[in-house]
Amino acid sequence: MLRAAGLVKSYRAPSGAALPVLAGVDLAVKAGDLAVVSGPSGSGKSTLLNLLGLLEDADAGETWFDDVRVSGLGRAGKSRARGRCVGFVFQAFHLLPGLTALENVLLAARYVGRPAGEARRRAEALMEALGVLERRDHYPAQLSGGEQQRVAVCRAVLNDPPLLLADEPTGNLDDASGAVILGALRRRAEAGGAVVVVTHRPAAVGGATAVYRLAGGVLEAA
Amino acid sequence: MLRGYAFTIAGIAIGVGGLVALGAMSERIVRFIEGGDRFVLGQISVAGRGMGMGAGFTAGGLLPGAAVRALAGVPGVAGVQSQVLLPLNPSVSQFMTLTQELVLGLDLTVPMPNRHYRELPVRAGRFLRAGDRKVAVLGASFAAARGLGVGSRLTLEGDAYEVVGVLERTLTAPDRFVIVPIADAREQWVAKDRLLQTLLASGAAALTAGDLNTGAAVGWRDGEDPDVVARRIRETVPGVNVQLPSELSGLLRASTAFFSALLVGIGALALAIGGLSLANTMAAAVFERIRDFGVKRALGATDLQLGREVLGEALAVTLAGGLGGVALALGLGWAIDGWAARSGQQLFHFSPRLLAGALGFSVLLGGAAAIYATARVVSLSPAEAIRRGA
Repeated sequence: MLRAAGLVKSYRAPSGAALPVLAGVDLAVKAGDLAVVSGPSGSGKSTLLNLLGLLEDADAGETWFDDVRVSGLGRAGKSRARGRCVGFVFQAFHLLPGLTALENVLLAARYVGRPAGEARRRAEALMEALGVLERRDHYPAQLSGGEQQRVAVCRAVLNDPPLLLADEPTGNLDDASGAVILGALRRRAEAGGAVVVVTHRPAAVGGATAVYRLAGGVLEAA
Repeated sequence: MLRGYAFTIAGIAIGVGGLVALGAMSERIVRFIEGGDRFVLGQISVAGRGMGMGAGFTAGGLLPGAAVRALAGVPGVAGVQSQVLLPLNPSVSQFMTLTQELVLGLDLTVPMPNRHYRELPVRAGRFLRAGDRKVAVLGASFAAARGLGVGSRLTLEGDAYEVVGVLERTLTAPDRFVIVPIADAREQWVAKDRLLQTLLASGAAALTAGDLNTGAAVGWRDGEDPDVVARRIRETVPGVNVQLPSELSGLLRASTAFFSALLVGIGALALAIGGLSLANTMAAAVFERIRDFGVKRALGATDLQLGREVLGEALAVTLAGGLGGVALALGLGWAIDGWAARSGQQLFHFSPRLLAGALGFSVLLGGAAAIYATARVVSLSPAEAIRRGA
């Protein structure tokens, strides 16, 4: 489903010097895979996830969703590809504070032109499955971290994207809440989704079909 | 849609409130100047030659009845109305001539010749009629300052007058007038002026009541140039001071130049303060949500979708803030004017053009600020927007 080849990325230090982060990363993830990427802090795991999800552009290299070279699309094309094909789960949840839990989930449907009634039914079903339906009218500030992340997972899968990218999804959670989230990601892969999880605790992710380690800008099988 | 924007709306409301309040003070001054200008351009003002009792803008000497009749005979003249204009309190009449209180005596046997004020608008009661005696119609500020209304009694030079009417507020000179029949005004003039009393008692001058005029308002026939008619009066009627409407308008504008400059300054200040406050608040509100925009783009929002969404919110927020600001300014103006009314003053004039202009200005500027801020935000990658907003 996802194929990345030769991804290169560097940032500019305040001094102007280039800080290389990724030095030619190749990765392929099929439908049904649960791929785990680990590595020390600052190794570029989040950057890799951003490139795979088209949240920023690589300096070099290509990314393909199925047979579409999405790295070559324009800004609008990339936005549409993100909306249709990618779901994101962030470490800090990134729910919009002015929206209720249900509205946050439904936000994912707003930009892909999905019928409101159908999106609402699916959102409520997802929230019920993850045990947060009773919190549908609560604002993020009124939810625990675990509840916020469950809402964020619902939002990520609302449009049933073939690719789910999770960046340290349990980093801000206690073990019990983390287990709920990892279970949801695992079920997503078992249901045929391609899932990539970035974490510095790969052992915690049970059921991974592939585990990689990123170090020195290079991705290797662990 | 406006949830979470309470502080932004409040910030905009304060900016727009300041803009509207300052603008309303400016409008008040504009109305004062324009009202005076409109009045003097509607008639040719004639006074007797010399320096007599006349007050305000018709200062001059006695205008005898013969001169009034001569004025009526000048080609191009359509009507002449004798007038007596006196300071209510002569001891302060020479100061603050823009705000002095005046007694205006009108010859009610002829219609008012002023083309712009065929009749003065009456808010309560009625205007004077031919044959009236010892009755008065009051300007709005004069009445408010003294708590007088229709049916009230007013004492002028020892005589009791019944108030039969109160004028609409014009925001210019007539607001401070006491308008009485000319015969009553002539009695007041004699009572006020010892020199005139001595002159009349000595019999040295053959004066009748009809000779006691401080001036006359002269109208012109349709198609006539008022300045040409005024020059014709100068040439054909001796012993009069004739003021050309355009000349008087120029004099009035020159004497109010300070106020004109002041209102330009107030207007510029209002636009700068209100505009900067509004634009800054709106742009800050957009930048504050930079992470939200990054998340939305991660969810698939295109630049166009995001821009449309932000612009819609910005317009709603600025409109709400603008309406709040207008309400704030109206409330503030109402409270201050309520206090100022006790001394017959009105400091604010909230004209429809001001309110519509302020709302339009706030929506346009808010929209422009939001577009600028959004353009800056969407130029970032979604990842960068999320990073910066985290």
